[in-house]
Amino acid sequence: MKFLLYTGAALLGLASCQKSFLDVPVQGQATTATDPNLATNLVTGVYNSLLNGEAFGGSGGDTHGPSFIAATSIISDDADKGSTQGDQPAMGDIDNFSLTPTNNFVAALWDGYYSGISRSNQALAALQTASIDAKTKNQLSGEVRFIRAYYYFNLVRFFGKVPKVVRVPKDAQDANTDPNFQTRAPVDTIYKVITDDLQFAINSLDLRSASQTGHINKGTAQTLLAKVYLYQKKWKEAYDLTQTVISSGQYSLVPDYSTLWRQVGNNSAESIFEIQSGQFNNSDMGISGYSMWQGPRVGGKGGWTDLGFGFCTPTPDLVAAYEPGDVRKAATIIFIDNSGKYTGTRLFDGFRIPSADSVQNLYYNYKAYHSENPQVESYLGNRGQKQKNVKILRYAEVLLIHAEAANELGQTATAIADLNQVRTRAKLAATTAAGQADVRNAIWKERRVELAMEHDRFFDLVRTGRAAQVMKAAGKNFVAGKNELLPVPSLQIALSGNRLDQNNGY
Amino acid sequence: MNQMYPLTRSVSRKLSLLLLLTLLFHLAQAADITVTGIVRDASSGDPAIGVTVKVKGTSTGTITGTDGRFSLRAPDNGTLVFSSIGYESVEVPVNGQTSLTVSIKPSAQELAQVVVVGYGTQRKVDVTGATVTIKGEDLFKQPVMTATQAMQGKVAGVQIISSGQPGSSPVIRVRGTGTALAGTAALFVVDGVLTDDIANINTADIVNVDVLKDASATAIYGSRGANGVVIITTKKGAAGKMSINYTVNAGVRSAANLVKMANAAEYANYVSAASGNLVQPGTVSTDWYGQILRQGFQQNHNLSISGGSEKGTYFLSLGYLTDQGIVIDNQYKRLTLRSNNEYKLSEKLKAGVTASYSNGDNQIANLGSAYNNAYRAAPIIPAKVGGRYGNTSVYQNVGNAVLDIENNNNNVKDNRLQGAAYLEYKPVTWLTFRSSMGADWINTNGRVYNYKFENDTVTFLSPGGNQRNPNSNLSFKNEKTLHWTWDNTVTFNRTFGRHTITALAGTTAEQFTYTWFTAFRKDVPAAPNLWYIGTGNANTSTNDGNGDKWSRNSYIGRLNYNYDDTYLLTATLRADGSSRFPKNNRWGYFPSVGVGWVISNENFLKGQNLFQTLKLRASWGRVGNDRIPSDAFTVTVTPNLAYPFGGGIATPGSAVTQIKDPNLKWETTEETDFAVEFSALKGRLTGEIGYYNKKASDLLINVKVPSVSGDGDGVVLTNAASIRNQGLEVMLNWRGKITEDLSYRIGGNLTLNKNSVIGLNGGQPILDGGIGAAQQYTTRTDNGQPVGSFYVLKVLGVFQTDDEVAAYKNAQGTVIQPSASAGSFKYQDTNGDGKIDDNDRVFAGAYQPKAYFGVNGGITYKSFDLSFDIYGNVGNQVYNGKKAFRQAVTDNVERSMAYGRWTPGSGIQNEPAANAGNLPASTYYLESGSFVRLNNVTLGYALPETVLKRLGISTIRVFATLQNIYTNKKYSGFTSELPGDPTKSGIELNAYPTTKTIAFGLNLGF
Repeated sequence: MKFLLYTGAALLGLASCQKSFLDVPVQGQATTATDPNLATNLVTGVYNSLLNGEAFGGSGGDTHGPSFIAATSIISDDADKGSTQGDQPAMGDIDNFSLTPTNNFVAALWDGYYSGISRSNQALAALQTASIDAKTKNQLSGEVRFIRAYYYFNLVRFFGKVPKVVRVPKDAQDANTDPNFQTRAPVDTIYKVITDDLQFAINSLDLRSASQTGHINKGTAQTLLAKVYLYQKKWKEAYDLTQTVISSGQYSLVPDYSTLWRQVGNNSAESIFEIQSGQFNNSDMGISGYSMWQGPRVGGKGGWTDLGFGFCTPTPDLVAAYEPGDVRKAATIIFIDNSGKYTGTRLFDGFRIPSADSVQNLYYNYKAYHSENPQVESYLGNRGQKQKNVKILRYAEVLLIHAEAANELGQTATAIADLNQVRTRAKLAATTAAGQADVRNAIWKERRVELAMEHDRFFDLVRTGRAAQVMKAAGKNFVAGKNELLPVPSLQIALSGNRLDQNNGY
Repeated sequence: MNQMYPLTRSVSRKLSLLLLLTLLFHLAQAADITVTGIVRDASSGDPAIGVTVKVKGTSTGTITGTDGRFSLRAPDNGTLVFSSIGYESVEVPVNGQTSLTVSIKPSAQELAQVVVVGYGTQRKVDVTGATVTIKGEDLFKQPVMTATQAMQGKVAGVQIISSGQPGSSPVIRVRGTGTALAGTAALFVVDGVLTDDIANINTADIVNVDVLKDASATAIYGSRGANGVVIITTKKGAAGKMSINYTVNAGVRSAANLVKMANAAEYANYVSAASGNLVQPGTVSTDWYGQILRQGFQQNHNLSISGGSEKGTYFLSLGYLTDQGIVIDNQYKRLTLRSNNEYKLSEKLKAGVTASYSNGDNQIANLGSAYNNAYRAAPIIPAKVGGRYGNTSVYQNVGNAVLDIENNNNNVKDNRLQGAAYLEYKPVTWLTFRSSMGADWINTNGRVYNYKFENDTVTFLSPGGNQRNPNSNLSFKNEKTLHWTWDNTVTFNRTFGRHTITALAGTTAEQFTYTWFTAFRKDVPAAPNLWYIGTGNANTSTNDGNGDKWSRNSYIGRLNYNYDDTYLLTATLRADGSSRFPKNNRWGYFPSVGVGWVISNENFLKGQNLFQTLKLRASWGRVGNDRIPSDAFTVTVTPNLAYPFGGGIATPGSAVTQIKDPNLKWETTEETDFAVEFSALKGRLTGEIGYYNKKASDLLINVKVPSVSGDGDGVVLTNAASIRNQGLEVMLNWRGKITEDLSYRIGGNLTLNKNSVIGLNGGQPILDGGIGAAQQYTTRTDNGQPVGSFYVLKVLGVFQTDDEVAAYKNAQGTVIQPSASAGSFKYQDTNGDGKIDDNDRVFAGAYQPKAYFGVNGGITYKSFDLSFDIYGNVGNQVYNGKKAFRQAVTDNVERSMAYGRWTPGSGIQNEPAANAGNLPASTYYLESGSFVRLNNVTLGYALPETVLKRLGISTIRVFATLQNIYTNKKYSGFTSELPGDPTKSGIELNAYPTTKTIAFGLNLGF
């Protein structure tokens, strides 16, 4: 009987403590409710998305990794796919415009940018309710909205019409039913999102000198908005904004062009928007794959430890585009010794690349090179995420936007003066161009060599309507009216229940 | 009851006294002699195992061993009683004989055997659900590691898919794929302890395995019942003489099937044609698979000691198993110890402990990249010469597969304690209280060391390439799991006239905790005695860790009603509360009801001789599945998404990268089951034929969401789909005797199953089975199709000429494949839009077989015994994913592709011209998964008694066994038995090749 009683008591005891017994909080993961610094952490998480480079379906996708390199540089007449013939044929498809909607690099870009936009939306939602002071909140919102605008600007240039996603879906059902998530918004609508976000950022951010290094500041937002206006041919607005940036006194050209893309040139006086790198968890932290994919690759007789996969190799056409004496040529391109004298190529950190018979390609991107000698540049051995800062916007481009806008507004002399500032730094004589049309061409030409391998060329050709002509001249299989844009990834179309429409010709 | 208690105590005291007096009387009267002998099954002539042998009127006794033999001390004028479940008892007077041969007859109702049904036992005849019992000895005779694998082909409705990897646990699928989530594993209950994996259980220790298949049988396990329940009962000692048993088997394993790759000349020919550049075959021709595969040695030793007295019994066992596996550098070792004890504390109170310890040591071969690279690597590169490796990566950007395996040392050791202690109290004969506390504690230590090597001539025959590791590194992973269960039940069992009622009520509580951490450093020296974190470069330290915890609380009830052994009713109800669901959906209720009609006990069938037993049964039940991650409904923040503002040490950040469904609810499966069971022709023919209809709804599946949703991995867990499995199961067994010395048995089972998704509940079809290269997905789980159906382009043939390419147009006259040329595949333009893309994909079959079957049989002739079993399945498709690895022109090809390739004028339609790979997902990669294989053949010989007597040993049996020795399959890859998650199964990517084994063994009993 006693046993019965004890058992009964035990059962009852279990029943009564059952409520707490089943309330087991999730282990090892903070929730949005339990993280005390949620909003500020989420803002850093938005910046973190700038470093994503998962090109093969990995979580987070690719914002500035191999897919970005392929869709901005390799696709253009500045660079070829490079590497070996058989490696990454899908990248070759981008190079030759034989790409299809199943291309994994294109899919990774879509994933990467929308992943980043979603992080921005999350952070903005958290900032609304965060208990931090209004000024900080305003500033952090400005930084996040800048990044969201930047992502949409890249998306609209890659894909044209894209879904307009400016809020966090409640759950999967919400994401799968709201037409905004399922259909593409017109290009104008997307540009409206971009300009609104940038205008907000300009109003809420401080000048560079009052901001922390690496953070988005007022000048960053003004420069990007000016560039957006350039794409919209809003010359007056572009001119005014670049004028503001120039007059702000926050920026100047660095004297030595070759330092721009080295560690010594990180966050220099010329830097406006620069993706940061550093260390985390006792390892290197930077854009996934950026340097490794573009590193010089062993070939032929081999016999040396190469630096990477050898993709995105400068074309002979780019090599020929530099005027004699232009210092930017040697700062942009690694020339592999093909003289037959076997002298090899000595890089700035002393590293010697053997001559052509041991190397896969003849040209490599110097701007993506990061020294593996820790005495020269920071390096902890993580090739996949080398500490390479990637410059997205810099002062030289502000001058070139200013020049182009001025020229279109009929202020040819102003345009020439801007242009010559850039040329002088490159150790070139003043431009000989005169007259609006000539100056326009000179500015476009200058953009190519000044910003070579800086992810601008293809967009610039499409913007200025020269893509078809230039690509065909470069021997590429470019179809006008089709290849200005990338195809919408087929998986995303399938997931939308075919409500996402495809770009023309794909 | 208060009155009854002292009464029974006084009665029992008197009884004990009486017993003692009787014993003393016997000791004074008679001389004990040793009696040995063998017990045989009267119908088959097989040795009868586990038969209790007792000296009548005493508690002295023993049980027969695996050879049917026994030995005990008995008075020379005594009587021995032989009894066993399912057999009629036999009494044999000793009459001074020291050697006896005894035949025992199966009882008229073979179905009267007792089966384990979860929180109790039932007579088989009373069971109204679908359950099957397999004897441990039938499993143990196979040279495989787990009982699960040994069950393959033995039970209708239970599909077991196993890889050849040492130390791995097979996938078990009861009555088709009933869920789309990762939690598809059946529940294992080992002596009352709930677990997901039985890799720690020594098959030699198992008495019986009971498989509960339908929802009415598994409903007592509620939310764990949806995928079937496998109940394992381990051995106990029997009162009587100590018995010692030793069994060993040892043998060699090798790959059951190999894929023939092109040799150097064939490769050179193919690649020259594909690339247009002449490739020279050179002087070497490497068989890369041959380089990484080998014959492996395996052995298994088991020693057990058991016995006991009236006060208690014991069973102790020691098992040691090693399996080298068939991949170089691979080895698995397992040591198991078991101690099962039972104590009779008083007439009313019983206590017991079942405890097992296992120690696994798994030296893992890095098959992931090696397998892929062995497929792709050019045969013109040598594998390894004089300790230096052929440099494949400098030639073709593919790693050297041998180096992939040899450049690291990956070892996982686990220690596992599993057991239960119980107390059982019977205040009166018809009432039993039982409290059982079980625990499963696992501690796993993984260690991976990656050697430093450069792409120089120290490591390679020629320098360069991408395969190198400039810094050695060492990582550790420690995992600890504790899962405890506490069951409290009360069972009532009484007969009133023709009515028998058994009722059970109880509660259970469970908690699971899991923690892990990792540590990592670089620059650890290569000597194994220095493989500790402290020897590495502290500047490179990283670590990580996390954990999991969930709990479950349940109430259970069961009622069995039997009227005159003819009309049966079973009803169960379980209420489960789980911490894995949000508060509003936390409790699930899982009822079941079953009825049975034993027609053979009806008067109108009395007097007929055809059927000894004939029973109809029908049941319905509802079960659930809560095997989802504990964080599935809570939105959590992913930490450590840092950003290095201004360089230097990065600032930590975070993001919400996973969308969650805040209203997750229980996944429920409802199943109806009808069956007829019979035993006919004097018990020689037994069988069971059943039909089931199982509908799973509110299935938790990971639904893909568009990238615009911002979900990091693109999938969200939600209650979206419904799946139906309908099927027919047939099991038939025949046993017969030709002469006194020659008997035989033959049995078979067949399962027909139809799986289909019957609703997506507004969700998206699931696209899965991505392979990489150009094949982002290969399966689609959609309405009306089986789960994980292949969804690919349809190959219509090969363009024979460029004119055919130009002539292949849609209705509007658009050339469909303008970039194709003669020798390219011609794909079906399903939607007729004039181009080939994902919209042209078609459903092309699924990995789930339409039918699977087993055949088993045996012959016993005098002291020889021979048994065999066959297993197979038909009607499924498998995807040759490794063929899709081929993504560069320099990659190797299969020999059949080298010879079967299209050439102008060949007319070949099923293989394209030499190409660079990277082809889209299509029917080209799909092949029939049908196969039949000879799973096991065992020949044994037991030494005759006359010899044994001289040696003073009770058993010596030698045997030879062949496992998986012959396969007839259509598939061209290694194996068509491919485990995998429900929405991406049946794809051969880097599967460990299945093995065949030849082993010899010895069994000694004392």
